[in-house]
Amino acid sequence: MEKKDGVGKQFLEALEFQGIKRRDFLKFCGATAAFLGLSDLYIPKIARAIEKASKRQPVVWLNFASDSGCTESLIKATYPNAAEIVLDILSVDYNETIMAAAGKQAEEILEKSKKDGGYILIIEGGIPTKKGHGMISGKEMIDILKDFSGPAVAILAVGSCATFGGVPSAKPNPSEIVGVTEALKRVGVNKPVINLDLCPVNVEYLIGVVVNYLLLGKLPELDSFGRPKMFYGQCIHDNCERRAHFDAGRFVEQFGSNEEALGYCLYKMGCKGPMTYSACPKILYNDRISWCIKAGAPFIGCAEHGWPDKFAGFYERLPDVKIPGIAGVEATADKIGAIAGVATAAGIAVHAIATAASGRAKGEKKGGEE
Amino acid sequence: MAEELKYEWNFAFRLDHWVRVSAIAILVFTGFYIHWPFFGGGPDSFLMAWMRFFHFVSAYALVLGLIVRAYLAFNSAFDRDWKDFGIFRNLRDLPDIIGYYLFIKGTHKDYRKYNPLQAFAYLFIGLLIIFTAFTGAAIYNGKAFGVLNTAESFMWVNTLLGGESYTRIWHFLSMWVIIIFVGVHVYMSILQTAVGKDRTFTSILTGYKLKKKTP
Repeated sequence: MEKKDGVGKQFLEALEFQGIKRRDFLKFCGATAAFLGLSDLYIPKIARAIEKASKRQPVVWLNFASDSGCTESLIKATYPNAAEIVLDILSVDYNETIMAAAGKQAEEILEKSKKDGGYILIIEGGIPTKKGHGMISGKEMIDILKDFSGPAVAILAVGSCATFGGVPSAKPNPSEIVGVTEALKRVGVNKPVINLDLCPVNVEYLIGVVVNYLLLGKLPELDSFGRPKMFYGQCIHDNCERRAHFDAGRFVEQFGSNEEALGYCLYKMGCKGPMTYSACPKILYNDRISWCIKAGAPFIGCAEHGWPDKFAGFYERLPDVKIPGIAGVEATADKIGAIAGVATAAGIAVHAIATAASGRAKGEKKGGEE
Repeated sequence: MAEELKYEWNFAFRLDHWVRVSAIAILVFTGFYIHWPFFGGGPDSFLMAWMRFFHFVSAYALVLGLIVRAYLAFNSAFDRDWKDFGIFRNLRDLPDIIGYYLFIKGTHKDYRKYNPLQAFAYLFIGLLIIFTAFTGAAIYNGKAFGVLNTAESFMWVNTLLGGESYTRIWHFLSMWVIIIFVGVHVYMSILQTAVGKDRTFTSILTGYKLKKKTP
């Protein structure tokens, strides 16, 4: 058996010590293979890659401007789950929120990691670009990011804050918060960033990318927003469990209604599923128990660039449109269309009356194409 | 002053026109439904799916209709009218025709088929249909003409407009511009029929206009 999956005895014993059976470990490897879209022939390879990583893949997890929701998403597990297995194995050298060390001791660990290099840098939270608006132990967050991006083998921006700014960058954005990609561009670091959008990040995505890297030694294929195509390649709407109700034209009109109890489509309640690309309906959250639409809430579009500003209000079909040139005037697309339509009808009516008044329609020679 | 009939539109022009008319009518109706489903489907219905189906099929019809119109402009056996759309010539004559429609001038110059205002309006609406088709493709998740993966191939449209939710708004607003165009277009043809007494309104069905012949 040991030869078949190729995982060393020592490693399995180490897992056993942590309360993880070999069977559970291989099950996890199987699940990982499944959502990476690999055949089951890869399961032993994944197992070996993780074993190899257990010896030498350090991870540094930096927290910037965020509510630590992604860390919460990571650690809120009911039993040693996939996330814990991998991240224990990965030796998370530094994670402010959950590490035991504090103060000077913690800073020392961080400095050591930086000196050793070769770590996977995971970034949670947006980067304030206004001076003095985001500092950790006297250092600007953007400078910390710059220092640590150099020796990293891969940079992962997890959660909407880190990818494109997310909630902290929403209007009016007093701290001028930007995402990691933009922040690195501003300090002149040219390194690819893997954006794992979502608020909070789905831990399964994080593991998927990390294991993909350990297994193949390269970063996954990214789309134009730097998101791995394997997770952000399909529209939520196309995989939604309520899609049948959409196609049938059955919609929830009001919360608390009978339609809602029947689980009809939330399109009219402002669901942004049709314009959001993520594998949420397939992979789910919280140990694959549920996700927003399953819980009865319209999807708010948190997997997309420009969220939340471009997707607010969350309970409206289309976000408000700002009319360029007129400050402070916001109208919905419907209103703009209706107003323009009425204005045209009025214009036509006025012109028709004027034509009648001018007597053009009666006279033969007064006008018209000849 | 004798009057005689003038063959203004041959069958190809008329057919192409009505293909686009029906396509726009279906697109607008189904588009409003997709935007805001104003009546619900029953237990066994497939209503939204059908609305979307007709929306997409009509979109193909409109785009192809436009392509056919562009082809006819350059290579029609009946009337190659692409020169009527010359921008600089039309710009020169624009004050003349606008002055006429605003009652500043009593008459306007004699134009061949389209007056400058018409030519600009049709050129604009052609470009707008292309814009609507591109934004539509960008928010459509399928294979255009069975070969082109729209979500990937038109991603740049979303990037250009600032995200897919904005692309949707642009798509929706350009529909309103098309509706307004149709309103003005129909009014203008009625106006011309009333003022010029040349059967403009029915000419797109029959093909014939009345030509006033100066003896």
